Amino acid sequence: MSQPEFSEEDLLQRAGRGDARAFDQLYDRMAPRLFGLLRQMLHDEREAEDILQDGFVLLWERASTFDADRSKAFTWAVMLFRHKAIDRMRMLGRRNRLVDSAVLEQTILAAPSHVSVDEEVQANERGLVVHEALNELPKEQRQLIEFAFLKGLTHHVIAESLGIPLGTVKTNIRRGLLRLRDLLKGGA
Amino acid sequence: MMDEERFEELAAMNALGMLENDEKRALDGAIARDKEVRALTLELEQVTAELAYLIQPVEPPANMKKRIRAKMRAKGVKGAGISRGVVIGGTGWALAAGLAVASVWLWQERAGMTQQLAAASRAMAPVNTATPVVDDGKTRTLEEELKKRRDEFEAQKRALAAEIESLHKQETDSKAQTAKLTAEVAALKLQEQQSQLQIATLQSKVWEYRKSEMLVVWDQKRSQGVVVLDKMPKVQSDQDYQLWVVDPSKPDPVSAGVVTVDAKGSVTANFKTVEAVTGEAKFALSIEKKGGVPKSEGQLLMVGP
Repeated sequence: MSQPEFSEEDLLQRAGRGDARAFDQLYDRMAPRLFGLLRQMLHDEREAEDILQDGFVLLWERASTFDADRSKAFTWAVMLFRHKAIDRMRMLGRRNRLVDSAVLEQTILAAPSHVSVDEEVQANERGLVVHEALNELPKEQRQLIEFAFLKGLTHHVIAESLGIPLGTVKTNIRRGLLRLRDLLKGGA
Repeated sequence: MMDEERFEELAAMNALGMLENDEKRALDGAIARDKEVRALTLELEQVTAELAYLIQPVEPPANMKKRIRAKMRAKGVKGAGISRGVVIGGTGWALAAGLAVASVWLWQERAGMTQQLAAASRAMAPVNTATPVVDDGKTRTLEEELKKRRDEFEAQKRALAAEIESLHKQETDSKAQTAKLTAEVAALKLQEQQSQLQIATLQSKVWEYRKSEMLVVWDQKRSQGVVVLDKMPKVQSDQDYQLWVVDPSKPDPVSAGVVTVDAKGSVTANFKTVEAVTGEAKFALSIEKKGGVPKSEGQLLMVGP
């Protein structure tokens, strides 16, 4: 018997009410992308696994606070996992230095693949929208946002690492994100 | 920068996790005060989180679900456990818990029986204190081994006792030192409160000394001070300047010693009166016989204040 297809928001809300199966399905849907994000941020397989593990425990504990009117389940989860990763980086003293010699040009978010199988369809559709919106930004804004998103470093370290004035980093991040917000809302 | 831009900047950097601690606090304060800042911050956090749709998925380790379950159990998370394809109801959990308890009990029983068996084997074996045991490649009897262990423990005990004694002594010394320093600080504070520094400038009405200057800094509590003289005419070789402190409670000025000026008529010297001065002091300078006199005989050149 086929099971009804729930949205991620439904699953998260059900998990919040103690539905272990919903949590299981949510894990299957979200874990690969979240694990990909954590590996990029932490540059360490073991650390990424630890945060994935801790993050899902936290997600289970906090699922009941999720409000579907305010955010999507996936973005809610991403915020939770990124905060955990940044906390870990702070604890390890990694926010104040670049872990590797990655340069700006090498830190680029992938375009979503077009392999749309079942539950990935929605994620990929949104991915395409985000990808297009990101490409609308001037190159220097787009690269800085991608770099900051994936590295979890402070603005001082980013400015120093990339040899860009601090004010330029701040301005580009501000303008870029505001523009991205407008574009994702469907604005011109 | 306008406030609006400043908070947009903070909200944007916050969304990317770029803020330093003090900036984060500033933003948190603004979020608490201002609904618009709060909305903007959340909005930008969500915009940023959407970037994760572009992340290339990576399959986590196959045992990750088990690890999450284990972590939940270890933390005692309520309702812990990801389903294994079957949602376990309340009765199921009770059954599982019962099985777990039974397993632990059986394991303990087994361990206890193993110990009992080992003890019984030892009891049945012939007692032979001369049975050699191997340790660090040397053989020695059980008695020797026990003696060695006892000696080691005794040595450790003595060392620990010595260390404890030393620490006690250090603690006592530290307490004494603290008490001494505290008393010194209190005394200094009291002294500071009680010290009455007085600064007086003196000028002369004697024509030859009209350009001369004299400054006295006087600490009445200690009956001592500093005198500064400048542009003083030379005195004859059998004479000295002598400083006096005039105490209204005494019939005569109290000597504060002779003062010898340099070729330019200048000097800065510390002085102390020969006897304590209790009243409000005045100062005087006279020319006296070489070496000074106990009671002023010469002309008073300067008086003040």
